[in-house]
Amino acid sequence: MLKQWWLQRQLKKRINNSSLDSARMHYQYLLDHLHQPISTVNLLALDIEMTGLDPKKNQMVSIGIIPIINAQIQPKLAQYKLIKIQGSVGQSAVIHGVLDNDLKHALSIQEILLWLFKQCEDKVLVAHHAPLDLQFLQRALLSTQIHSQPLLAIDTLHIDKERQLRQHQVLKTGSLRLNACRSRYNLPIYNAHNALTDALACAELLLAQLSQMGGMEDITLAQLLIKNR
Amino acid sequence: MDNSELQPIFDFMCQLPPFDSLDQTILKQCCQSLTIAYYGKQQQLVHVDTNQAQLYIVRSGAFEVTTQQGELIDRIAEGQFFGFSGMLSGEKVVNQVHILEDGLVYHLPATMFDQLRAQSHSFDRFFNQAFAKRLRNQGSISNKHINTARITHIMCRNLTTIHPDATIHQAALLMSEKRLSSLVVMEDQLLCGILTDRDLRNRVLAKGLNGDLLVKQVMTDNPFTIEPNALIFEAMLKMSENNIHHLPVVDKVDLAGQEQQGKKPIGIITSTDLIRSQSSQPLLLIGQIDRQNSLEEIIQVSQKIPELLHNLISSDAKAIEIGRILTSVTDSLTRRLITIKQMQLGEAPMSFCWLAFGSQGRQDQMAGSDQDNALVLEREPKQTEQAYFKALSEYVCHALDACGFPFCPGNIMAQNPQWQLSLKQWQQQFTSWVRTPNPKALLNATIFFDIRPISGDFHLFEQLQETILKTTKNNDIFIAAMTKNALQSTPPLGFFRSLVIERDGSEVKGIDLKHKGNALINDIVRIYSLAAGVAEVNTSKRLESLISKNKIDKEIAMSLLDAWEFIAHKRLTNQGLQFNKQQTVSNYILPDNLSPLARHQLKDAFKVIHEAQSTIRLKFLRRF
Amino acid sequence: MDVQTLTYLIVGATFALYIGIAIWSRAGSTQEFYVAGGGVHPVVNGMATAADWMSAASFISLAGIVSFVGYDGSVYLMGWTGGYVLLALLMAPYLRKFGKFTVPDFIGDRYYSQTARTVAVICAIFVSFTYIAGQMRGTGVVFSRFLEVDVDTGVYIGMCVVFFYAVLGGMKGITYTQVAQYCVLIFAFMVPAIFLSILMTGHVIPQIGFGSELLDAAGNSSGVFLLDKLDGLSTQLGFAEYTIGSKSTIDVFFICGALMFGTAGLPHVIVRFFTVPRVKDARSSAGWALVFIAIMYTTIPALAAFSRVNMIETINGPDGQGVPHAEAPSWINSWEKTGLIKWDDKNGDGKMSYANGETNEMKIDRDIIVLATPEIANLPAWVIALIAAGGLAAALSTSAGLLLVISTSVSHDLLKKNLMPHISDKKELMYARTAAAVGVVIAGYFGINPPGFVAAVVAIAFGLAASSLFPAITMGIFSKKMNKEGAIAGMVAGLAFTTIYIIYFKFVNPGANIADNWLFGISPEGIGLLGMVINFSVAILVCRMTAEVPKDVQEMVEAIRFPKGSGEASNH
Repeated sequence: MLKQWWLQRQLKKRINNSSLDSARMHYQYLLDHLHQPISTVNLLALDIEMTGLDPKKNQMVSIGIIPIINAQIQPKLAQYKLIKIQGSVGQSAVIHGVLDNDLKHALSIQEILLWLFKQCEDKVLVAHHAPLDLQFLQRALLSTQIHSQPLLAIDTLHIDKERQLRQHQVLKTGSLRLNACRSRYNLPIYNAHNALTDALACAELLLAQLSQMGGMEDITLAQLLIKNR
Repeated sequence: MDNSELQPIFDFMCQLPPFDSLDQTILKQCCQSLTIAYYGKQQQLVHVDTNQAQLYIVRSGAFEVTTQQGELIDRIAEGQFFGFSGMLSGEKVVNQVHILEDGLVYHLPATMFDQLRAQSHSFDRFFNQAFAKRLRNQGSISNKHINTARITHIMCRNLTTIHPDATIHQAALLMSEKRLSSLVVMEDQLLCGILTDRDLRNRVLAKGLNGDLLVKQVMTDNPFTIEPNALIFEAMLKMSENNIHHLPVVDKVDLAGQEQQGKKPIGIITSTDLIRSQSSQPLLLIGQIDRQNSLEEIIQVSQKIPELLHNLISSDAKAIEIGRILTSVTDSLTRRLITIKQMQLGEAPMSFCWLAFGSQGRQDQMAGSDQDNALVLEREPKQTEQAYFKALSEYVCHALDACGFPFCPGNIMAQNPQWQLSLKQWQQQFTSWVRTPNPKALLNATIFFDIRPISGDFHLFEQLQETILKTTKNNDIFIAAMTKNALQSTPPLGFFRSLVIERDGSEVKGIDLKHKGNALINDIVRIYSLAAGVAEVNTSKRLESLISKNKIDKEIAMSLLDAWEFIAHKRLTNQGLQFNKQQTVSNYILPDNLSPLARHQLKDAFKVIHEAQSTIRLKFLRRF
Repeated sequence: MDVQTLTYLIVGATFALYIGIAIWSRAGSTQEFYVAGGGVHPVVNGMATAADWMSAASFISLAGIVSFVGYDGSVYLMGWTGGYVLLALLMAPYLRKFGKFTVPDFIGDRYYSQTARTVAVICAIFVSFTYIAGQMRGTGVVFSRFLEVDVDTGVYIGMCVVFFYAVLGGMKGITYTQVAQYCVLIFAFMVPAIFLSILMTGHVIPQIGFGSELLDAAGNSSGVFLLDKLDGLSTQLGFAEYTIGSKSTIDVFFICGALMFGTAGLPHVIVRFFTVPRVKDARSSAGWALVFIAIMYTTIPALAAFSRVNMIETINGPDGQGVPHAEAPSWINSWEKTGLIKWDDKNGDGKMSYANGETNEMKIDRDIIVLATPEIANLPAWVIALIAAGGLAAALSTSAGLLLVISTSVSHDLLKKNLMPHISDKKELMYARTAAAVGVVIAGYFGINPPGFVAAVVAIAFGLAASSLFPAITMGIFSKKMNKEGAIAGMVAGLAFTTIYIIYFKFVNPGANIADNWLFGISPEGIGLLGMVINFSVAILVCRMTAEVPKDVQEMVEAIRFPKGSGEASNH
């Protein structure tokens, strides 16, 4: 109850304070659908590859998004973008496979943020370990002065963590990694560390989690949404 | 790597039969068009939207298709499909899909599915086969599906009929009113004749008779007819051989108290229908053969046979039809050669019949089949009479050899005096094989029991066949010996049902599709047929007859038919490939030349043979 | 190496041999088959038939029964041999011409009746069951001794082995495997017989040794004939004289007859004659089979006598005063573990004593004689192991064949043709396998709770066959007037009479099973012959009163007896 009231307040505040049209539409969409069953809500699974894990030091290099509409993942609407960075990707290329050379024609961080807001005008963001992605985005938003309000998202890691804690299981190291979560739902394991593949993996995981939580008809958006700390 | 592609989806699809056979760009489009959903056990059923047909591709999890009554039709696991039945049949989906294990499913929209079927033949074939299998499991094979029918496709079903006691005048009025060139004359639902405008012209007008004559006085009674499941090509052959232009299509029906079957007309086919419908290439060849008057000319014409085969293969005709067409050509060739020699030798001293055995008998000749033939004579010939048949048979056999049908290594040929026997000797010969099934007799049985008359007095053949079937029918000991013999050879499946590749020393020979595939099916079906006294010799016709007489499990019969066609088709296309690459044409297929899909299907086909072998082992040999 | 290890080795080696032959003949068959073109030689086929024929009953039990009861036991020898001749020469050729693969099929067609067929199926299953029960017991005895377990456990093990052999074995029915089985079997049987013969009489050939004088300790002829010595020992211990039977002449006659005619009705042996291509071959291989069977059957009395003398002397000691149990030879200890030998020290002197009547302290199962003989005579360990292999070969080849007959009869003849005509072929196969499993279990039950020793159980099977199937087959061939009503009534009457008689004396009231209570003094083992007579009489009586046989059937019967020159290949 309290959480919902708080969420509503937060969203209203963001709508009033947003200077960007698409950002306002995004929050409005969230507000409108807060009490709707999740099956009727458009979702946008997202994954970002970075040069490291520290939002203060590291930068984003690529972003993949894939929408879930009518409870079905839509590969044909999937998109993948590379992001221009300061300096070099360095050792992180080993993980995400994006090389400095690939980034020559990449979009600037401003362009990316505007594009992303455009994409989620009528969608809710979903990510695995969302706080990390949101912190990176938040820092970028601040630095580019496009927008100042923290974003909201559904976190598939958080869902599984709560689920395990509810079942009184001891959380083992690594048991909340994307592939570890997926294997619990009989989902295939993807090996590539690619923003788009991970976005797809995250989208599939969410569908599986929702199915196991009792179906998408009975769960509302408000139950799933968390705030960036 | 193009990062805008969803690599995991593409990786999965490009290894999944039949998608693996698609072109890369098409496959990418196909991946783009997918949507992905997750089905959890709690939902129990997959909700199938009947308005929006799509193919369900199982990425993970397990599902079960059942009828509405809950009978299991199919179990579906990772890498398998459901939802195609509705798209293929166009019928409303009534089957239910149960979720056994949670899983991820890709949806391929119907438009994309249809596009892929149109673009790729093997894709289309895969789903048609899966559909046929599904139907069979469902136990409801409606005729619509198995008859990708032939004659029935082009025949005219709107029969205009007339009673034999009507007058010619009435008939003529009817014909001009309906703009017809022929009328089918019918009494008591049965065919009794045909009246064509040629009859009216030649038998009435030309003779100055008037219109009061009755139809039955003028009509052609007992006209040539054809059965609805015949090939279009066979109708053409019948017409051109007999110089006629109309063929009533009839169903044979049993008549109470009568030996002979009655003919119930269900349509008519005219030469115009035929010309309109089909390419007539094999027919042209046969026509050419019939016009030649010397051996040299015949040999020259026969050199077109490989080309004919090649065209048939590349036009992707069914193997079973290719077999029938090629055999028809061989039959014509044999007939023409006999006629040519008889023009020189004169009338035969007694009636005789030229018999074909083995593949020619079964009508499944393929490239390079050797000749298996013999003569049945009215009685034992005297010395002088023997000379006539010696001359005739040596000429024909040598000529066939020159035409590309090599001598039989077992010397089962009409020119071998051992196989120029009188009807009575033949009857004794067959009886002794049946009574004394030693290995030699059993080897003979596999060849001689597939017997068909080619030229001469068919009555001799009919008497012989009657004896054969009478001795084999219900002779359990002979049938058991045949079964034991047939089980000596097994399909090339290993212990874990993997394909076994034959090797000759270090050289990989491949999989013998003929001897480890089609021949085994022929053997199995022959045993069933001889046990049941079925007169047909063609493997598919035997199976049809066995099904109608309820002498074989329908499921087994249909699977055998599918397996036969699949293996024969693979063998033919492989031979086409070898021919193109100018390799020696053989029955062996190399595993490298098999796509994962084909390998998968070949295993299925061999499994069918394996199961049928266990069935006959139990049924006829009382072992398991 | 100890006996047990050797047994594993030799049994394993023989099995490897059978499997090896199966694989070799399967791989090579197609070419070799056709190039030779002539099939197998009658001698080879004769050996295979002999292997089929010699069951665990012949191998394990026959010598035992002869050894224990002396002359009376020889009825089994005579009955079985006679039956074989009857079957091979008089019946098999005609049945063959009829073109039917199984006995029920023949009866069903000949008597133009589904009912007759079904009755025949039931008879065949019944007979096969009884027969296989005897085999299970034999297998159990072998396993129990060599795995040193209780005889019941031995039967359980045997059940599993037989089931897998029948259902999974690709080696059954392959002629050369059976030839190998025959060789193992006859070798295993002859070696101890020859050893004993040399040791006791100095003759290499046991059949001659049987009629010769015994050697004394120094190896010189003692002047005492083997059989005289046995007669002496038997009388001394209170048994009937060895060479004179205790059974009445009429009982001997009936047992002998039941065995003989029963043989001719046994389904699994008849089939063997159908698997050779030519009638002529069938006859000559039958002749050879007879020779090969005779080799063993004539050795049986000799072996029986040798081991009897040996056994009595080992237990009672050379002085006849008994050997202390503590000093008993190891074979007694091993067999005690199986429960097939029991010692009950009645007089408390610690010595074993074997005799007839009150003073007897030993309970010895007759089925152990052949297996124990090599040990009793202190023969080398490998001979003992060889016997185990031979016993298993005998039991397996017969049981597997019978199990197939039972299971296919149940699945095909009973289920598919009568009870559930709509089952698919796949289902039929499943039912056949299930029937085999059930068959093994039931047979195993009777193996554990036998209504008699192995040979007697088997004798009952023959009795049942004689009283039910034999008359129907014979009349089917030799009388064209016999109709279905007669045949069915006869089969039912014969089987019912025999079964009831046997069940009464063997199960309901076993205490009354003595000669005084028997009908005309005929024991349950011999009652099959009387059942057969009843069968014939009922059949003829009913036949007289009912409709005549259809014309076409009459013609068919005539045709198989008087072939119209179409039997063999014509000359050209």
